Amino acid sequence: MDSSVSFSDFDFTNARRVKRVEKFLNTIGLDFPSSIENFVIAKDGNELIACGGLDGKVFKGIAVAPRRRGEGLILSIMTRLINIAYSKGIKDLFIFSTPNNIELFEGCGFKLIENCDNEIMLMENNDNLANYKNILTKERRDGNVIGSIVMNANPFTLGHQYLVEQAAKKSDWLHLFVVKEDLSEFKFKDRFELIKKGVSHISNVTVHEGSDYIISNATFPTYFIKDKGRINELHAKLDLMVFRNHLAPALGITHRFVGTEPYCVVTNNYNKNMKKILEDPDGKSNPIEVVEIQRVEKEGRAISASRVRELLRVKKFDELEKIVPATTMKFLKNM
Amino acid sequence: MNKIKKRAYAGTLESSDAFIEIEPIEEDEIRIELQSSVEEMYGDDIRDLIAKVIKEMDISYISVRVQDKGALDYVIKARLQAAILRANDDKKIKWDKL
Repeated sequence: MDSSVSFSDFDFTNARRVKRVEKFLNTIGLDFPSSIENFVIAKDGNELIACGGLDGKVFKGIAVAPRRRGEGLILSIMTRLINIAYSKGIKDLFIFSTPNNIELFEGCGFKLIENCDNEIMLMENNDNLANYKNILTKERRDGNVIGSIVMNANPFTLGHQYLVEQAAKKSDWLHLFVVKEDLSEFKFKDRFELIKKGVSHISNVTVHEGSDYIISNATFPTYFIKDKGRINELHAKLDLMVFRNHLAPALGITHRFVGTEPYCVVTNNYNKNMKKILEDPDGKSNPIEVVEIQRVEKEGRAISASRVRELLRVKKFDELEKIVPATTMKFLKNM
Repeated sequence: MNKIKKRAYAGTLESSDAFIEIEPIEEDEIRIELQSSVEEMYGDDIRDLIAKVIKEMDISYISVRVQDKGALDYVIKARLQAAILRANDDKKIKWDKL
């Protein structure tokens, strides 16, 4: 490596330098990833030649100028990023990228979790997935129909409750995963508690904290995806393949239940992808049957969490009472 | 002491260096995971070296992960020693023992 190369790091408050990174990424065909907290850059003289960023536990925007590739700049950038993450106490790290970079990141100690049809991949820096699968395996239950539901429940409504009740009826045991991110209006801790309280009358359900392996569309990075029209599809693909190939086998899941989606096109497409990916007979792991459950309606419209948030904003508690369980109502009143 | 207190690391991913991460484990076991750019030629030697350094430092419960980019023996040894000392917050280092 040329001795005139210098490295430095800074955080998102340094607007001038952040702007330079943005420009650099754009020149090599990448978007600027939103919400990076820490940046590392390499400069040759005054010219930016490589960069990388950390957003929570995800490395983003790692790039080297095309004519400076093969010098090992990426290794220095990655070392610095890992140091920053560790010094912040973040030890589980993830990279979402295109699969042509797998080997590159393997050389930095990252391991492949899933490569979806050579279109998108996810890697992590340690054996966390294996550990998590071991934990899940302990929660395994016997039965012919082992159902599963993944929900955000922002917040938990009578619609969610109905879905869980119906799924539990059709299953010998039901595993319910709560998406773990704090970007929704209701914090994870609260969403989780409201779900637990709202399903406490059902005897054959386990409520699991979601993990880094249930990929929320709120945290899914999209800056490296060239065809923006395919963002939702690629997110669904990665999330569902990780679910099918890793989480489901650990628990012996045979079915996945989902509410029909009358309003939101994104969710509706996600459900369509779900059928395609989970039921595909040629996958690496057993297919999972997808069961759509008709959404429950109240006064001619399906109950949705977005409606709850709307009513909450205008404080229409009498309306709210009709579409959330008493447990959620109590929480909303005390907010 | 035979156990380490916490997770620690030392080194870099750069050429001729090694990035070493260590972690305490419950079992009485020395777990070594090596990825090396010179695995074919020196993989076993590097694993032997790591086991030897760990033994010399009296540790018997440890997980070690090494990303080696062709580091020389004494570099690997120094990186591992540094990680172990960091893991135990050792202020009084017995240099003659290292």
